[in-house]
Amino acid sequence: MTRPTRRTLLSASATAALAVPVTSGKAATIAGVLPWAPNAVTPPEAVTPGGWRYFTPEEAEAIDAIVARLIPADDLGPGAKEAGCTVFIDRQLAGPYGGHDTLYMEGPFPADPLPQQGVQSQVTPRQHYRAGLAALAAYCKATFAGKGFAALDTEAQDKLLAGLESNAVKLPGADGRAFFAAVLGNTMEGFFADPVHGGNRDLAGWKLIGFPGARYDYRDVIAKPNQAYALPPVGLQGRPDWRNKP
Amino acid sequence: MRAAGLVLLALLLAPVARAEDAQVARGRALATAGDCVACHTAPGGGDFAGGLALETPFGIIRTANLTPDKTTGIGTWSAEDFRVAMREGVRPDGMHLYPAFPYPYYARVAPADVDAIFAYLRTLKPVANAVDRDTLPFPYSIRGLMRGWNLLFLGGQPFTPDPKRSAEFNRGAYLAEGLGHCGACHTPLERFGSSNNAAYLQANRIAGWTAPNITADARLGIGAWSIEEIVAYLHTGANSTSLASGPMAEVVTHSTSQMPVEDLRAIAVYLKERGAAGAPAPAPVAPNDPAMQAGQAIFVDTCGACHGRDGAGVSGVFPRLAGNPVVVQDDPGSLARVVLGGARAAATSGAPTSPAMPAFGYRLDDRQVAAVLTYIRNAWGNAAAAVPPAAVGEMRSALVARAP
Repeated sequence: MTRPTRRTLLSASATAALAVPVTSGKAATIAGVLPWAPNAVTPPEAVTPGGWRYFTPEEAEAIDAIVARLIPADDLGPGAKEAGCTVFIDRQLAGPYGGHDTLYMEGPFPADPLPQQGVQSQVTPRQHYRAGLAALAAYCKATFAGKGFAALDTEAQDKLLAGLESNAVKLPGADGRAFFAAVLGNTMEGFFADPVHGGNRDLAGWKLIGFPGARYDYRDVIAKPNQAYALPPVGLQGRPDWRNKP
Repeated sequence: MRAAGLVLLALLLAPVARAEDAQVARGRALATAGDCVACHTAPGGGDFAGGLALETPFGIIRTANLTPDKTTGIGTWSAEDFRVAMREGVRPDGMHLYPAFPYPYYARVAPADVDAIFAYLRTLKPVANAVDRDTLPFPYSIRGLMRGWNLLFLGGQPFTPDPKRSAEFNRGAYLAEGLGHCGACHTPLERFGSSNNAAYLQANRIAGWTAPNITADARLGIGAWSIEEIVAYLHTGANSTSLASGPMAEVVTHSTSQMPVEDLRAIAVYLKERGAAGAPAPAPVAPNDPAMQAGQAIFVDTCGACHGRDGAGVSGVFPRLAGNPVVVQDDPGSLARVVLGGARAAATSGAPTSPAMPAFGYRLDDRQVAAVLTYIRNAWGNAAAAVPPAAVGEMRSALVARAP
């Protein structure tokens, strides 16, 4: 047997030290290529039309009427109601957004948080809409001789909405301004989100502002400034031209 | 201190690495050229320990354990036993092997090379892995039937060089027709599972993939590729047109990327010079065909970002579609499979990126996949038959059935 020299012993010890397998913890070591599997897709679940998942029919009727005034149909195209914003909001409220499922929902809940602090309320969107719509219904019933918001003429609707926005109108037992802000924000989200989520039906929102949608590649137009972009908008589920009818 | 002592003891007792016997080294290289490990290794199992489920038209066959384990491997075999198995498809116990083990190809391998492979396999660490070797349904479960099959189909002719050809061509022919067994996948099978040698290397459907035409045909085969491009494809899995994916990615990873470049060059010379065979281009599907119109819209929105609106791709990263023979094969099976489920390119030291294509089966229905495939097969100068939606549907069902 040959005696190890100082040099071989040192280098061998270093090798032995490096070769100690790391087995503790849950971290995995990936060597070579990243793992890959066929059909590995996690697409957003497409909203199925028809019916309401959270709203009562009366609530849906009121939201339909509100969003129709926030983005009304006109000669530029469909409005928020026609584009399915009520469906969008209903499905959002029924899903994880509606319960703030992904937010930290334990206290403390400061009464007057800084804007930078984001959502600080213990009220979930589901509770917010239910209470806000109930307060609006009660306000309308008392103020307009038993009529609901949807039954008002558009002029009265606009006046009431403007009053909520400016805080001039006080709803019984609810913050009208915060409710108005929530509906306005969600309506814009529905109007401009991908149609897979239930709003922006027939890409109405994107057509209105000229947004080309879920495209990845502008190499063929990047050197053509100030020229109209010719391709129509496309959603995650395609566009009408994709249909290959039998 | 005690742990350090143990390390020292282990070092002193460690066997001194012996210089590898020349025959074993040759056997290792030949086993690499034959890509034995690809079929004789199950996912998660030991190398050469067998157990991989091979899909054949007749049913699933599990591959043999080639390690020298005495009970579950080939530890008790003699070199002569191995020679008979490789060249005649018969085990030492007299049982016939199925030609999913491509012994009709290995019959062309020189006996000295077969012995070298055996010598190499003897050096592997024995792995105890009992494989159920009898999974085929009746009547294919009757292995004796292979006796008649062999009479009909087994050529059994050892390779003889063609004196009218270059030494390089003959080297390539020996590798490709023998151990490389290219034809086992790339030649269509006849009814009883033998290679149809009249259509040698003219494309085949195997295990749910299209093994394309690799004759020198300029449209369907590798005729338009230079020797260098063929070598680059085999050596790295990528060239200016194509990326190896599916079973060919495994071939590149385990076999051709590990082979000497001179051998790859010889195979390229052989493929380029041995002849061309392929149907002439059909008339392309008209651009105003509804499938072409829908296909173009889908392509521009879905595929063009990587493959380019003009189908030019990006060399080494995104396969070129314009003028790519893979796109215009008669069988659109691989195309449908790749669009439905995605694909991953081989990773080699020469092309380590291993780009992957995402799956689109979740948002394109069978008619839409058929339309986009019909489009890429008939745009930019390509011409091939329209893809029927039913063919996509069959592939979709097969992929679902295959999913673990």
